[in-house]
Amino acid sequence: MKPKEIPTLQPRLKVLNRKQALAIHEAALEILEKVGFKMEHAGALEMLTNAGCKISEDDRLKLPARLVEAALSSAPKQIVLYDQRGKEAMPLVDGNYFYGTGSDATFTLDLETGQRRRVVLQDVTNFARLVDGLEHIAFVMSMGNPENVMVEDIYIHVFAEMVKNTNKPIVFIADSGHDICRIYQIACQVVGGEKELRNKPFLLNYSEAISPLHFPENIMEKLIFCARKGIPICLPSGSNAGGGAPVTLAGALALGIAENMVGLVVHQLAGKGSPFLFGPNVSTLDMKSTIVSYGCPEWSLTQAALADMRDEIYGLPIWAYGGASDAKVMDAQAGAEALFSIISSMLARCNVIHDIGFLEYGNTSSLEMVVMANELIAMSQFFTEGIKVNRETLALEAIERVAGGEPGSIFLMDDHTFEHFMKAQFLPVLLDRNRYDSWKEAGATDLYQRCNTEANRILSEHQVEPKVDEILTGINRILQGG
Amino acid sequence: MSDLKALSEAVIKGDINSARAETQKALDSGNSAQDILDNGLITAMDEVGRRFSKGLLFVPQMLRSAKTMQECMKLFESLFQEGDITSKGKVVIGTVKGDLHDIGKNLVSMMMEGAGYSIVDLGVDVSPERFVEKVHEIEPDIVAMSALLSTTMPSMRLTIEALKQAGVRGKVKVMIGGAPVTDKYAREIGADCYGPDAGSAVTKAKEILGIS
Repeated sequence: MKPKEIPTLQPRLKVLNRKQALAIHEAALEILEKVGFKMEHAGALEMLTNAGCKISEDDRLKLPARLVEAALSSAPKQIVLYDQRGKEAMPLVDGNYFYGTGSDATFTLDLETGQRRRVVLQDVTNFARLVDGLEHIAFVMSMGNPENVMVEDIYIHVFAEMVKNTNKPIVFIADSGHDICRIYQIACQVVGGEKELRNKPFLLNYSEAISPLHFPENIMEKLIFCARKGIPICLPSGSNAGGGAPVTLAGALALGIAENMVGLVVHQLAGKGSPFLFGPNVSTLDMKSTIVSYGCPEWSLTQAALADMRDEIYGLPIWAYGGASDAKVMDAQAGAEALFSIISSMLARCNVIHDIGFLEYGNTSSLEMVVMANELIAMSQFFTEGIKVNRETLALEAIERVAGGEPGSIFLMDDHTFEHFMKAQFLPVLLDRNRYDSWKEAGATDLYQRCNTEANRILSEHQVEPKVDEILTGINRILQGG
Repeated sequence: MSDLKALSEAVIKGDINSARAETQKALDSGNSAQDILDNGLITAMDEVGRRFSKGLLFVPQMLRSAKTMQECMKLFESLFQEGDITSKGKVVIGTVKGDLHDIGKNLVSMMMEGAGYSIVDLGVDVSPERFVEKVHEIEPDIVAMSALLSTTMPSMRLTIEALKQAGVRGKVKVMIGGAPVTDKYAREIGADCYGPDAGSAVTKAKEILGIS
C-alpha cells in the first residue's frame, strides 16, 4: 500500500482578520473621497479629472472608490522579475518572498577600518558584487549615494555600476522623468531592446510620494514613465506613524494605503495592465530622536498586516523591508533587529523585501550586515518550511535499528542520519557553534569579524559573469550623455 | 503679585487649561507681561528643553508645552507694544528649492519657536532668491535650510552663494539640516552650522548667536 501523503504546514503569520482588513480599506477609500490629495503633475491631474475625480476649492482632488476598484482589477496579480540574462528570478506571486538591499544611504561602514564614512561609487560596486555572490539575496539596490559622483546624475551612475557588477534583478531609484529615461536606455542595452525589457523586466523602480497625500511632479513623471514602458514600480509613501501619518498604526496604514491607491489609479490610467507593487512603508517616527525607525516592531507588524490585506482584498504583490537596524555598529541590537524583521516578513509572506544590510535607520550601509542577513534568511527559511511528516522523517525503522539493535548502536552511525542530515538540519556557516576551545583557537571572533572576513572573501573570490563589450560600450556612451 | 511656579509647572506638563488660568491669575494680581513671559513661560520651556535633552521627555510632550506657552501668550500679547516682546532671535526657515518635504523643517520651526525665537517659515521649494528677498525684508539673525533628498542638497550651496552675491551673507548665520546633510557638507558650502536633529538645531542656534 502506498503511504499516505501528509501535507506540511508552513508556519505563517496572520495579524488582521477580514473585518479589520476591510475596515482599514474602507478608511483609505474615505480619505480619498473626503480629504483628497494634492496632485502637482498636470498630466496626471488631467487623467484623474477625466476619469471622474473632482477638484475642491482648495485644489485637492477627491477620488471616487470606483476608480480604485477599476485600477485594482486591471493591475496584474503577479509580476515576474528576470535576471539580466533573461532567466526567471523573482516570480512575485502568492507568498513568494525575495530579499534585497536598500538605497540612498549617506554613509557606509568601511570594510577595512570599520569606520563610518561617506559612500563612494566603489561601495556601490562592492555591494553589487557581494550580493551577486550571496545565495539568499535575490536583488540589489545601490546601498548609497556616492559623494564622488555629480549629484545630478547620481542615480544613472549607480545604476550603471550595479549593471556592471551583478546579473541579479535591480531595484533602482531615479530623481525624475529626466534621469529615468537614461536609466531605461541602459537597461535596454543590457537586454537588447525595449521589447525584450518589457517582456522580461529585470528592474523595478522605487519611488516615494510625500505623506500626507502629496504627489509632486517629478514622482508622477517616473510613475507615468514606468506605466507606459511596462517597468514594474512600487510607490510607497513614507506614511510613518507619528511622522507622515497618525501615530496609531491603523490610521497610518489607512493613510499609506490611500496614497498607494492614488499611485495605482494614475499608473493604471497611464498604462492599463502595467505591473505595480502594492504597499506603503509604515514604520514609526521615534518619539525622542524623530528618526524613522528601521528596527522597530511596528514596521514588521504593519507589513504583515499589508500581506493580510493583499490576501483578503488587493491580490497585488507587496513591497516590504527587513534585515536592517537602528544600531550604529553591527552589534547585538543589529542582530536582534535584523532577524526580527527578516523572519516576520517571511512568516507574513511579504514579496519584495528590501533594506537588507542597513544600520543607523538606513543612513549607513554595511557589507557585513548583508553577509549576516544572508545567513539569517537561510535560518528563517529553514524555520518557515515547517516539519515534514512522513514515513521517512518519522524514522521508525531507524529508531528500531538503534534502540532495538546491537549494543553500541548510535543514530550518528545510522544510514538514515547520513542520508538526511543535510536537509533535516539547518547548517550554519557564520553563526558559531564551535566548542569553546576551538572557537578560542580560531581567534575568538565575534559574528561581525566573521562577516567581515566572509565579505572580504566573496569580494576577492567571487566572479561576476561579465557583460559583453558591446553592452559595456553602449552603457559608457549613455553615461557620457551620448 | 503671584508666584509663577504653578504656571511653570502647568507649561511643563502641557496642561493648557491650568496654564491659561494661572496666566490670568498672575495678570489679575499685577504681574507684568514681561515678568510672566520671562519667569513663567520661558523658564518653563528652558526646563522642558533640559528634560528633553536628558531623554526624560518625548517630542509630543515638548511640542505640547510649546503649544501651552503660545496659548498663554495670547492672553497678554495685546499688552505689549509692537517689538516689545524680546525674542532670542529672528529665524527665516525653509525647505530648499526642488524639495517638497516639510516634516523636519516644521519640527525645527516649532522647537525654535518654543525656545523663544521668532520664526518666519517660507514653506517648501524655497528658491535662493526668495531666501535673499526675505533676508532683506526682515533682517533675520539666522537663515535655516532643510533638505531631505541628496538631489536637492546643492540648492543649499546655491542659496548661500545668492546670499553672498546680495551682500548679506555676513549679516546672517546659516544653519542647515536634513537626512542627507552632514557636518562636513556644511563646512564645504560655507554654512555656519549643521543641526543633526531638531533639538540640536535649538542648541546650535544659541551657540552661533552667542546666547548662553
